[in-house]
Amino acid sequence: MDRSKALGHIVLVSILLVLILPFLVLIIWSFSQGWASNALLPNEFGLRGWRYLFSQQSRMLSSLGMSILISLVVTGFGMILSIPAGKALGLYIFPGKRLIELLVLAPTIIPTIAVGMGIQIAFIRYGLADTLLGVILVHLPLVLPYGIRIFASIYKALGTKWEDQAKILKANGWQRFWFTSLPFLYPGMISAGVLMFNVSFSQYFLTYLIGGGKIMTLPILLFPFVNSGDRVMASGLSLIFILSSLILMLIIERVITDSEEKTNVYYL
Amino acid sequence: MVSRDSLKAYLYLTPALSVILIFFLGGFILAFIQSLGYFPAIGQEDLTFKYYREVLNKPEFFKSLSYTFYIALLSTTIATVSGTFLAYYLLRTSVKKSFIAFLYKFPIAVPHLVVALMIVFILSQGGILSRLLLKGGLISDTASFPAFFYTQNALGIILIYIWKEIPFVTFMVYTVMRNIHTKLGEAAQNLKASPGQVFFHVILPLSMPSIISASALVFAYSFGAFEVPYLLGATYPKTMPVWAYLNFISADLSARPIAMVINMIVSLVCAVSIFIYYLSAKKYLRKWS
Repeated sequence: MDRSKALGHIVLVSILLVLILPFLVLIIWSFSQGWASNALLPNEFGLRGWRYLFSQQSRMLSSLGMSILISLVVTGFGMILSIPAGKALGLYIFPGKRLIELLVLAPTIIPTIAVGMGIQIAFIRYGLADTLLGVILVHLPLVLPYGIRIFASIYKALGTKWEDQAKILKANGWQRFWFTSLPFLYPGMISAGVLMFNVSFSQYFLTYLIGGGKIMTLPILLFPFVNSGDRVMASGLSLIFILSSLILMLIIERVITDSEEKTNVYYL
Repeated sequence: MVSRDSLKAYLYLTPALSVILIFFLGGFILAFIQSLGYFPAIGQEDLTFKYYREVLNKPEFFKSLSYTFYIALLSTTIATVSGTFLAYYLLRTSVKKSFIAFLYKFPIAVPHLVVALMIVFILSQGGILSRLLLKGGLISDTASFPAFFYTQNALGIILIYIWKEIPFVTFMVYTVMRNIHTKLGEAAQNLKASPGQVFFHVILPLSMPSIISASALVFAYSFGAFEVPYLLGATYPKTMPVWAYLNFISADLSARPIAMVINMIVSLVCAVSIFIYYLSAKKYLRKWS
């Protein structure tokens, strides 16, 4: 028994190491200031990288702002569109339901490269290429499957009983949604929000193709650093990337006071 | 006669479906039309399958297809097997729930590009691991450290994918396994089934639909992914998405339909993998319900 317990600890510790170690490397790199090619650790630490990142030239702050703006707008609209769609799929039976369920999943199946390269020509014709609106419009379908699935499963579990009660009490459509269903959707909105935000926040290809380099987001800024360029900058940029999406998730986690059912819909 | 409820459902679905139809499937359909050679900008308006024949006859085609399959299949298999065992392991440990939540939620916040960068910093020839081996005297210079990137074995790319995918599979399987475990696993234990028997005869078969679904999503993702193989893949062969992109940006506009044909083939493979999942999940569900 003790041996299996020890083995268990080894497994957990190694999982943690694999998860955490890479971040330590990023942190060390971001504070390094001169690192000989055969030395194990940097010979000098300093804030050069960080100072440059927060200066105007690095465009880090403006890209971060643009990324947050795009992802928030996409998440907001994604929410507004996927709540009614989830309701339809969770509560009603209607002709063509299977087909629609399949269509809704399409953005998680068909790769974005095919869609992006195909749609670029139309976006150029209608003046959407190189614009913020264009980038938001191509991000939007990518986040919908997550929201729709989460809200469909909530509505399915919820049934119509609560809204029927409210109907008997003469609540109109908006009141029924606002005071009866919405409180039940709240945990789902938070899970869906985290997912949608992250999908949009980490999107590279469509932003690059449709934004044409004019719409600068964090992934676009980070991309060339992966295989070349200043590693100090690259590490700082990555840490800011992770930190900003973690902070958002933490804010959301604080709002959720977790119970088992709620986290169940987190990723599906 | 369409019922009132059906009308209501269609009404609720219209906004979301329009966005998906116009801005996603619309793009896919445009790609398909262009793959048939429709390209008015250079005066081509006849529809033809000649670009499909051209792609299928290229010597790169089979190389690229198998390279992409190799990367996607290997990373999916490793991620699925380790994710499944990890899920079962986490189910049986006494560690705190919040710790488990941290294990799978943390990697979600880390995008593929950052994972790529971290793995490069560790495994490249100037990376931490090679420096460690050098210090320990196990290698004589950094050039003798094995190459993980820009190589045909694509080990670096595969490691990047599995770092990101194991937590995904673990979580999807864990939530389902937890339900099965509390309901049936404990019943089997009471009937004196050994932990191995419980796992292989009860938990594993019942979790199969979610395991297959997670691995189908992971496979479709890694087969169609662009960034990581574009940055860190071998010069030859290219993965299918990278090959498509290089044709797409080529100065020679007649290479565009070629790019679209490759896109269609990639999409077909992804769709088939999801379809296989659907069929096998259905089979399992029928067998066990």
